[in-house]
Amino acid sequence: MKIKFLRVGVASCGIAAGADKVFEKLCEKAGDIPVIGVGCLGHCYAEPLVEAVTEDGSSILFRDVKGTDEAIDNILSLGEKDRFEIPEKRKKHELVKVLALAGKVNPTDISDYIANGGYEGLKKALTLSPEEVVNQVKISGLRGRGGGGFPTGTKWSFLAAKQAEEKILICNADEGDPGAFMDRSLMESVPHQLLEGMLIAAYATGATKLFIYCRAEYPMAIKHLRIAIEQIYAAKLNIVNGRSLEIIIKEGAGAFVCGEETALIASLEGKRGTPRFRPPFPTDSGYKTFPTMINNVETFGNVPVILREGGEEFAKTGTESSKGTKLFALAGDLKNPGLVEVPMGKTLNEIVFEIGGADKDNVKAVQIGGPSGGCIPVELFDTPVDYDSLKALGAIIGSGGLIVIGKDRCMVETARYFLDFTHRESCGKCTFCRVGTMRMFETLERIVAGKGKESDLEMLEDLGKKIKAGALCGLGQTAPNPVLATLRYFRNEYEDHVIRHRCTAHQCNELVKLEIDSSKCIKCKLCIKTCPVDAIDGNFNIDAEKCTRCNSCFDVCPKNAIFRTDLEENK
Amino acid sequence: MSIEFTIDGKVFSAEPGQTILEVARANGIEIPSLCREQRISKTTSCFVCVVKDCKTGRFLPSCSACPAPGQEISSNTDEVWDMRRTALNLLLSEHSGDCEAPCTLACPAHAAVEEYVRAGRQGDFLKALTIIKERIPLPMTIGRVCPRFCEKDCRRNVYGKPVAINDFKRLAADLYYDTYMEKLPEETGKRVAIVGAGPAGLSAAYYLRLKGVAVTVFEAMPKAGGMTRYGIPEYRLPKKAVLDREIAHFEKLGVSFEYNRTLGKDLSLEDLKKDFDAVIIAIGCWKASGLRCEGEELAVPGIDFLRNVAENDNVAANPGKTIVVGGGNTAMDCVRTSVRLGSSDVSCFYRRTEAEMPAEKIEIAEAKEEGVKFEFLIAPVKLEKRQDKLVLTCRKMELGEPDASGRRKPVEVPGSDFEVEADTVIAAIGQGTMAPEGLPVNRWGNLESETPAPGLYAAGDCVSGAATVVEGVASGRRAALAVCKDLLGLEEKAESTIFVSRGSWQSLKREDLVFLRNDVSEKDRAKQDLIPIEERVSSFAEVAATMPPERVMAEGERCIECSCTDKKNCKLRQHAETYSCDVDAFKGEKIAVSYDTRHPLIIQDRGKCIKCGTCVKVCKEVVNKTLLSLKLRGFSTCVGTAFDGGFPDNCAECGACVDACPTGALDWRHKA
Amino acid sequence: MDEKFSFLTKIAAEPSNLIKGLQAIQAAEGYVSNDAINAAAEYFGIPPVEVEGVLSFYAQFKRVKPGKYQIAVCDGTACHIKGAPLVHEWLKQELGLAPGETDADGLFSVETVACLGCCSLAPVISINGRVYAKLDRKNLKKILKEYAEK
Repeated sequence: MKIKFLRVGVASCGIAAGADKVFEKLCEKAGDIPVIGVGCLGHCYAEPLVEAVTEDGSSILFRDVKGTDEAIDNILSLGEKDRFEIPEKRKKHELVKVLALAGKVNPTDISDYIANGGYEGLKKALTLSPEEVVNQVKISGLRGRGGGGFPTGTKWSFLAAKQAEEKILICNADEGDPGAFMDRSLMESVPHQLLEGMLIAAYATGATKLFIYCRAEYPMAIKHLRIAIEQIYAAKLNIVNGRSLEIIIKEGAGAFVCGEETALIASLEGKRGTPRFRPPFPTDSGYKTFPTMINNVETFGNVPVILREGGEEFAKTGTESSKGTKLFALAGDLKNPGLVEVPMGKTLNEIVFEIGGADKDNVKAVQIGGPSGGCIPVELFDTPVDYDSLKALGAIIGSGGLIVIGKDRCMVETARYFLDFTHRESCGKCTFCRVGTMRMFETLERIVAGKGKESDLEMLEDLGKKIKAGALCGLGQTAPNPVLATLRYFRNEYEDHVIRHRCTAHQCNELVKLEIDSSKCIKCKLCIKTCPVDAIDGNFNIDAEKCTRCNSCFDVCPKNAIFRTDLEENK
Repeated sequence: MSIEFTIDGKVFSAEPGQTILEVARANGIEIPSLCREQRISKTTSCFVCVVKDCKTGRFLPSCSACPAPGQEISSNTDEVWDMRRTALNLLLSEHSGDCEAPCTLACPAHAAVEEYVRAGRQGDFLKALTIIKERIPLPMTIGRVCPRFCEKDCRRNVYGKPVAINDFKRLAADLYYDTYMEKLPEETGKRVAIVGAGPAGLSAAYYLRLKGVAVTVFEAMPKAGGMTRYGIPEYRLPKKAVLDREIAHFEKLGVSFEYNRTLGKDLSLEDLKKDFDAVIIAIGCWKASGLRCEGEELAVPGIDFLRNVAENDNVAANPGKTIVVGGGNTAMDCVRTSVRLGSSDVSCFYRRTEAEMPAEKIEIAEAKEEGVKFEFLIAPVKLEKRQDKLVLTCRKMELGEPDASGRRKPVEVPGSDFEVEADTVIAAIGQGTMAPEGLPVNRWGNLESETPAPGLYAAGDCVSGAATVVEGVASGRRAALAVCKDLLGLEEKAESTIFVSRGSWQSLKREDLVFLRNDVSEKDRAKQDLIPIEERVSSFAEVAATMPPERVMAEGERCIECSCTDKKNCKLRQHAETYSCDVDAFKGEKIAVSYDTRHPLIIQDRGKCIKCGTCVKVCKEVVNKTLLSLKLRGFSTCVGTAFDGGFPDNCAECGACVDACPTGALDWRHKA
Repeated sequence: MDEKFSFLTKIAAEPSNLIKGLQAIQAAEGYVSNDAINAAAEYFGIPPVEVEGVLSFYAQFKRVKPGKYQIAVCDGTACHIKGAPLVHEWLKQELGLAPGETDADGLFSVETVACLGCCSLAPVISINGRVYAKLDRKNLKKILKEYAEK
């Protein structure tokens, strides 16, 4: 069999794993076989990933490819080494629609996109009236994928109904949730899909100016979008409703709160990214007071799919209230972290264990929805993942970040981490969020340090509820969620910290010490050599006073003889 | 096209664009707000103005939310109050400042110390006296004998010695006492009897007269003053030159005195209650405690000893070799009086150590200068008379665990008894109240309550136990206010309950202090001039002289002026009072103080900023200057000038930002 | 306007482009100096104090010159639970630098960043934009050595 061409995943995740070297090496050795740099297939755990497509159209995947001659030759000879099969279980649940072309097309080549069905949706849209396009989106049941879950078609109809000199369309690509990377992957892998969705929206709503507000931390996404926009201009695809539309990329400058739409608009206007009270909603008064509509990357990414297959067909996937597919970024304590697209309504069991390959005996919970979301304990993993089921559990689907939390992680520390994030990202405008999240964070800091009181738990609950009820914007209104959810499902861990001054997960540094299991220790002295503070003596005793719990010894020990345990007085 | 909606069940209509807050205020519904300023665009920051949208269950900032048709708003439920209180508590938790100066808070009478010191610094001692007399009606006396609670908490203790606050009272009173006269209102026709012409009774009389109440003071002794006359020795408080003048002022105010009238003897509570609209009991603590050992009757009670000297114009027999048992101020008065009566051998025996002595440090020091010997860790066991001498058997003590008062408890050392000979043994152990029959007393024998029965009030030592003059004066004022409330329906504005503090001086460093003036004096504390030691030990002449005005004025330059510039108008404090807030509800980090006094007229004290940005918007939108901006974000958010360079030259000093600031974060440096 | 900042003229001089202008300045200079603030203020017609207000709001902007190699430690959720605090600890030990600090030679500076979006490869850092994944103490040491010898 002859190789027709090779695809190398060179999105940021691939490059971080060393795909750029592999790409270079392949180009060097492949002779006249074309080597195409593509986006992400979603199997980040197997990066660098190379796909060989043969003359007969079959596809052979290679995983964890090293940049060595041996590895490259293995690929070019279609050797048996490094072969990668997409796990059957994953195939069973996956439904790839939005990401259909991710990892399959060259992100910087519009013709590749078009050859694979790209811009069919736009073409189709232009055969309909704008009202009919809006209607198709309404029929599809698509809801905003950024977190709020507002019906997209309805939002579009608000903007469409406005008469104004300028109407603004904004793509929110400020994917700020730590632990989420769906939007990055989509923009890096298939930038045209996002742009196609925006152009369809512009046609349907009569928008005159298009912005993409993208995080500066995503340089490759920005680069690919820039190239794609030039290609659109060249192909005159931006001429909609008889007007040549400008598509402007604005880079965010590092402020999570700018994911909130009024803050995003302020930032686009060159101001401090502080939200303002709504109403007026942006569709009434947005960017420079013009009617403005904001959708996120994944929402726009769904639009070409809807137009291509029709709203009715689209609505066949998913649950009663949540239609279509959803992208999830899987990370944390599981075997197969990466990106996955599944129909709405899959259960957490299916996503975490069957797709993610997490170890059933070592999962405590998932954190879904990032710092705005909450955790869901493993006992409730048969919950279908859709907007409303998760809300009922005190979490949110959010943008789709899904972090698996293993048994050896402390839930109080996890909550502390999220509050650390939100209090630093608070814009500082409203009292509840500015001071309230700080006070919650400080209380959690005290608790993980073993200095908490039982009354702190009531305080956290009471203040948390008030911040949710009182804060100005979505950031503050959801910031207490990680704390309230962990208090709801893992109160025992909090009580361990405040009453018994113990961290059962042995994660909180100030409540544990490190010890060496002499039955496992082979006295290789690696730990002694590694310890930066000379806390380990010749008899392999760790001085808990000197030890900084840096885990260096834990990491170097070849026999896993070092373990974390309760401090004497708390045992 | 107006919008109909309800607030607290009442229907209102709003014009488009009108906020809920505007509609509420236009209709007399009180909603608090810190950050709403009509002239600028909405800040939506403080969230103290939240109301509840009953249909959605959400809380809305009423300053920014415009009513929707059919909306049902509640503005006055417990839930809404709780949210507002939480917002205020959160703001207080990041608030760093001093709602009141620590000296004023320390003063039992809550005298406006900073204010009278400032008047004195500016040379206006008449104004200083006016301020002092709002809380202290015996300034000549207190200016001499007060143990200076205020100075113990003075922030100047952070570096060096406290401001000599009490000397301001003394000088102001000495300078203007004969000419100063209060304006009295018309008589109300109400008549009040006060039993006891000591500090508490006089104070009550004073504040009642200022409200037009007729006052008769009944006094068991032949003259007024109580313990200030019969307890405090002449050398600390001259009777003719000072106390008589102070008393004369009460007569000028129309207070009538009836002397030699003792309650329970020639005066009955029942008669007084019949003849007067109210009765205040302020009879003090005139019962001395004994030595509590065998032969205690052979010892002279301290207050009796002092009273005898006072009644005889400081003429009394030389007590010979004298032992005074006790460690309080009365003990010091006894030893120093004994010295002045000619004794060349005076000792003070105290059962703990000098560190635990309740007497004022200055009294101990002056007694030592005058030759008094101190013996510590000694307790009397027996007193007996052998021939013409007294023999006091004593036992040595050592310090054990701290007791309820926090002082370490003395414990007897077995087998350590020894004997000492003396001519006179004085027991200055303590004092109690001779309570009138029928009134409930507590376990120390003092009256249980300041309001024992309808129409009957009590004040001073007889309630609190033996205390200082300033505490008696404070108590007397409270009684007067209670009488005014009950008789005249006069409700004094309640004292503030909100006192944010930067902390006690012990917890502060010099960098933590906020200096309102750039020229706070670095000089050492001013000292009183004392008469020569020979004169001190041989006469009852007043030991310390009143400081001259120049010295006191210069001393005033040492005052840091700790209290908030905005203490009278701070909206945060006012709302926090209304909403019964707790400044310690949430504890946590406050932003490190960084105040700016580079501008000659304006102080920016960032610790007090609530980050509402009103000043920023006023400067930009009203003044058209944009000299300020919010900087950073989250908890670190602050208001700053360009490159933190302070107000630039093009600042017109219009004060718009100062006026708009809801707290004292931006304020005039000049305190009135 | 200072010659040094003439590149700003490539951006339309309207206030909404302020952040873009500041990003261009930082790309060119590595940080935003007071002079740069004044230049941006003049060019975009915004008072300097307001430029500072905007600049200080966003985490991206630096007010002091960073090191030649800027180490960004990702503290996204995945990296955090996979050991971002340890990465900081190691950097502290190897370079003596805490977040926000630059070494005396101006070679390295360390900062914490929100998610770099490589969560599946946690923990990660980036040095001058290049991402290094699945870090442990050993390979961090190796990477630092490579840069130090460059």
